[in-house]
Amino acid sequence: MISQFFVLSQRGDNIVFRDYRGEVQKASAEIFFRKVKFWKEDGEEEAPPVFNVDGVNYFHVKVVGLLFVATTRVNVSPSLVLELLQRIARVIKDYLGVLNEDSLRKNFVLVYELLDEVIDFGYVQTTSTELLKSYVFNEPLVVDAARLQPLNPAAIFMQGTKRMPGTAVTKSVVANEPGGRKREEIFVDIIEKISVTFSSSGYILTSEIDGTIQMKSYLSGNPEIRLALNEDLSIGRGDYRSSFGSGSVILDDCNFHESVRLDNFDTDRTLTLVPPDGEFPVMNYRMTQEFKPPFRINTLIEEAGALKAEVILKVSAEFPSSITANTIIVQMPLPKYTTRVNFELEPGALGQTTDFKEANRRLEWGLKKIVGGSEHTLRAKLTFSQEFHGNITKESGPVSATFTIPMYNASRLQVKYLQIAKKSSAYNPYRWVRYVTQANSYVARM
Amino acid sequence: MSGHDSKYFSTTKKGEIPELKEELNSQYKDKRKDAVKKVIAAMTVGKDVSSLFTDVVNCMQTENLELKKLVYLYLINYAKSQPDLAILAVNTFVKDSQDPNPLIRALAVRTMGCIRVDKITEYLCDPLQRCLKDDDPYVRKTAAICVAKLYDINAELVEDRGFLESLKDLISDNNPMVVANAVAALAEIQDNSARPIFEITSHTHSKLLTALNECTEWGQIFILDALSRYKPADARDAEGIVERVTPRLQHANCAVVLSAVKMILQQMELITSTDVVRNLCKKMAPPLVTLLSAEPEIQYVALRNINLIVQRRPTILAHEIKVFFCKYNDPIYVKMEKLEIMIKLASDRNIDQVLLEFKEYATEVDVDFVRKAVRAIGRCAIKLERAAERCISVLLELIKIKVNYVVQEAIIVIKDIFRRYPNTYESIIATLCESLDTLDEPEAKASMIWIIGEYAERIDNADELLESFLESFPEEPAQVQLQLLTATVKLFLKKPTEGPQQMIQVVLNNATVETDNPDLRDRAYIYWRLLSTDPEAAKDVVLAEKPVISDDSNQLDPSLLDELLANIATLSSVYHKPPEVFVTRVKTAAQRPEDDEYAEGSEAAYSESSAHPADSAASPPTSSSNVPYAGARQPAAAPSTSPPAAPVPDLMGDLLGMDNSAIVPVDQASTPVSPPLPVVLPASTGQGLQISAQLTGRDGQIFYSLLFENNSQIPLDGFMIQFNKNSFGLAAAGPLQVPQLQPGTSAAILLPMVLFQNTSAGPPSSLLQVAVKNNQQPVWYFNDKISLHVFFTEDGRMERGSFLETWRSLPDSNEVSKDFPDITVNGVEATLDRLVASNMFFIAKRKHANQDVFYFSAKIPRGIPFLIELTTVVGTPGVKCAIKTPNPEMAPLFFEAIETLLKS
Repeated sequence: MISQFFVLSQRGDNIVFRDYRGEVQKASAEIFFRKVKFWKEDGEEEAPPVFNVDGVNYFHVKVVGLLFVATTRVNVSPSLVLELLQRIARVIKDYLGVLNEDSLRKNFVLVYELLDEVIDFGYVQTTSTELLKSYVFNEPLVVDAARLQPLNPAAIFMQGTKRMPGTAVTKSVVANEPGGRKREEIFVDIIEKISVTFSSSGYILTSEIDGTIQMKSYLSGNPEIRLALNEDLSIGRGDYRSSFGSGSVILDDCNFHESVRLDNFDTDRTLTLVPPDGEFPVMNYRMTQEFKPPFRINTLIEEAGALKAEVILKVSAEFPSSITANTIIVQMPLPKYTTRVNFELEPGALGQTTDFKEANRRLEWGLKKIVGGSEHTLRAKLTFSQEFHGNITKESGPVSATFTIPMYNASRLQVKYLQIAKKSSAYNPYRWVRYVTQANSYVARM
Repeated sequence: MSGHDSKYFSTTKKGEIPELKEELNSQYKDKRKDAVKKVIAAMTVGKDVSSLFTDVVNCMQTENLELKKLVYLYLINYAKSQPDLAILAVNTFVKDSQDPNPLIRALAVRTMGCIRVDKITEYLCDPLQRCLKDDDPYVRKTAAICVAKLYDINAELVEDRGFLESLKDLISDNNPMVVANAVAALAEIQDNSARPIFEITSHTHSKLLTALNECTEWGQIFILDALSRYKPADARDAEGIVERVTPRLQHANCAVVLSAVKMILQQMELITSTDVVRNLCKKMAPPLVTLLSAEPEIQYVALRNINLIVQRRPTILAHEIKVFFCKYNDPIYVKMEKLEIMIKLASDRNIDQVLLEFKEYATEVDVDFVRKAVRAIGRCAIKLERAAERCISVLLELIKIKVNYVVQEAIIVIKDIFRRYPNTYESIIATLCESLDTLDEPEAKASMIWIIGEYAERIDNADELLESFLESFPEEPAQVQLQLLTATVKLFLKKPTEGPQQMIQVVLNNATVETDNPDLRDRAYIYWRLLSTDPEAAKDVVLAEKPVISDDSNQLDPSLLDELLANIATLSSVYHKPPEVFVTRVKTAAQRPEDDEYAEGSEAAYSESSAHPADSAASPPTSSSNVPYAGARQPAAAPSTSPPAAPVPDLMGDLLGMDNSAIVPVDQASTPVSPPLPVVLPASTGQGLQISAQLTGRDGQIFYSLLFENNSQIPLDGFMIQFNKNSFGLAAAGPLQVPQLQPGTSAAILLPMVLFQNTSAGPPSSLLQVAVKNNQQPVWYFNDKISLHVFFTEDGRMERGSFLETWRSLPDSNEVSKDFPDITVNGVEATLDRLVASNMFFIAKRKHANQDVFYFSAKIPRGIPFLIELTTVVGTPGVKCAIKTPNPEMAPLFFEAIETLLKS
């Protein structure tokens, strides 16, 4: 049970403030913001998501640069409150299409109306956009999405590939299209975040995939949907990992949205559901089965005299040439006494940027895209302010990379088909099944 | 719809309020709606638009739900400050609660419940009664929550109108949303009531387990948390529950998963079959790990919980250590928690992997994280004997990188490793010494100096090394100075040659004559005297064998761990503190924003009545007599200007027949001057050392107030204190710090105490056994008495309503009374002052024949309340004290306390 809910901008301005129980002082938003901004406790400089000041417990999550905060005086379930804060953000985004300070301010009456239905006397009532539609009457005023920074996760489809209707994912679930009728369409996104740690010799130390099948339905009349996954999918790995190589996809664990029925899941790996309105995860899964990492990163450091060294970074894309990764950023911390870096890109390099961030002595190499099967190299000549002692390799690195690879998924989990119960033979809504892989923690040690 | 809502925030050139007023009364609907939106906009940015109350309320009668909702939102905000105007809205509310549209019916009760104005509350009961039995589930679920709202405003009313029964009926409702809300409401009411209201019988239990499957995710959490209060009868019962709850582990909502984990862990305590337990552990591991794929905020909560779970059941995640490896983009608060868990899960089997990780972390950029990683390596060395050597070699590698803070952190942990494995790894000292001159942090320096002193005989140039530190002796921090002093003495004792002899002269001189630090000076004098009188004894003392230290990574006290595990999936498990430490929810009325006004109002009332006690006693009970309490219940905006509020039905007074007109002013501010402490160890027994002591409470903290008087012929120092197990688990919160006591001098010490540290079993006793030692005398033992009133907490004040309710809810067998024939209460005011200063709070007073009866409340830690009734004839000997408490076995202690308080 929470006492207050509020949304603060990055500057600490109150955008939304709702007091449900009147047990916590009104100044709580200010107290909270000051505490978070000047956090310094136990040697940590970032406030944890839950803390207590003078008997008031503050919870917060960061969503697109906004702080979603709840307060309470009692010993509640913190995961409930944090999950709730995320869900409130999602509901508001469903309604407004775009979630940011501007859209919140433009729609504050609607937001308050939503908040009153989502929470009563501090108790969560529902966070289902579908259910809320029957109780909420204000209409959203959609802000112009075109000039806005795209938001994750759906926004990742907006880059590159043209055939994806970029605006669809930022449109409100409830607002009507300017043209009148809504377009019948459904989006199923298989989003995988991969974490890989390579040892200095290139051997994989840990690897993990966190995946989500995300759905956003704009279908009228809520028809039933069947989603078929790989037939050879198995769940739960034994105590030994012998099954690798058999070709099957083995998930460590997975969970499902409450609307999903699993009657046939054990026999033919199909999920049945009536998708509620709004964006929601159909299924989350986790996999530590070995998989082929999309990129290999090689680093070589050569000393070149007492005050100089050369770093050679090589990135090889080990996925099919029909696929292109985009917005790749490779970063590498350099020794503290590095004063200057001269970069040398490969001849004919296009869409690549290099930078030496002096403040934290970090090299940054950006590549707009990398086509599968290709290899790219960067040479960086370092100049030091003092003679290095010991080992330069140990004082630099590890190399980390972030990237997005559309239409690629490392786990090989697939949506074999997406069936929509037909209302009539003419009914043929748009179906978008999209895959994307993103780097979570992709690190090569040195 | 026109334009953007943000336009409502723009201000107009001329007076905003008159303009809004005009628009609110416009004949056009749209204009009125726009105007209400503007009013709400102004309200949210903190502008005072309360003067538009009447105009806004006039817009309430509309068929337009959107507009109605806006008006309701406004009402919730301002009804408190305009109670008289709020009554205007009542008719519409009541009408709306019977509207054919269920949304409007629900909206009406929901809003009425949020308006904490007595007049509105009175009108709420009938609609609420109807709505609890409404045909529409949306109305019923709203009504269920509304009962909790009403209980918070007026608990009596809820009980009298039978709402609790209606609420219990809703547990069997066919709509899961209704069930969930009924459970949530009952759970909250139970939390605020001393009486059992929401008892989970095996019948309700199975009903709720069934509802679990159909509930929304949030309802599942309410139900799981309520169910966790149910104690299964036996292992079979527990297994049955687990079977029903286990599917929840697959839920996508992390809070459902954690609440299910909590339930399963609780049941596991009862399950005897090791196979079943092992199987459950296996089932819980994947969902727990999956929590780490959620947002970092949730990960943090999960990690804090996992930290507790692995302390009790290390096997659950023994094979999953890899998932706790830090990702480079984890927030620092996640990384720190992961490190802790990695240490806890480190074993001989995985230590190589773990060390590789730690080594990598130790070269990262974030200094705090790096330090913690280095420390983690040391902790693993101390924890895993067989891996210690590998840990040390990693530390040495790190030292060779020569990153300053890494080296310093490594030296600090290596010192601990030496303590853990004496005479094993000294070969690395030479490597450590190479970094000597780069040390600039006190703790690292002190550690290095300790190492040099401890192993002086093996370090050829130990004297040179120490000498290099000596030059800067006066500038060093105390921690380093103390180590330098001891190390030099050790060196001298081990190598009594000319060099060290000179050094010791310099050090002793510096540490006695040149310093202001009493600790340093005292220690130097001891050494000096020891060395000059009996060097052999000095060796025995200074070079004595040290106790071997152990790993501190499982440092939670078992009883605390039990309590925290019972609180998994609550804030308690994130803070790693028991709930009573941080939950300060005072009965809600005391926390309202109008709080300040209440305080002012009541103060005014008190001072007035204290100035004219006779007047106020004589005045008719309807006006002034009720003021202090009326102030508490009537959240009037400006108590000074508003006319005297109509009397609130005074249930307390009516029921006990109390005479409120004789309310006695209570001054909380004054603290009595403390009398001399009682002697607990007379000088005749203590070879000249006399100790007087007493427990005292100050600002909510308990202290042991001690006076040491040295009547012996020698200076006494090195005082230490120890408390034997006792009924309250009282123990010292820190070391006793007594300066050296020269003959004929004394020292008064206030030693902070903590509770529930080493609690003894058996019936509560006031006996407190204390042992005090010093360096010169044998250990002294003495007995002291724990006076219960020291523990009375500041939150022991009860509202009259809850006092009465608690009194009635406790069975008569919990009432104990005692006569004190020789105590006389003379000044009522002075007595009440004294009692309130000891956190015994005055509630009411009445006259019974020629006797005065006083009611008080008090509370001791762990939330145990005492309800007290004192009967006496003022000025005549004889006081009768009757108490009611859930813990009647405490009564004898309580009577001892009250006797002390009344006599003093």
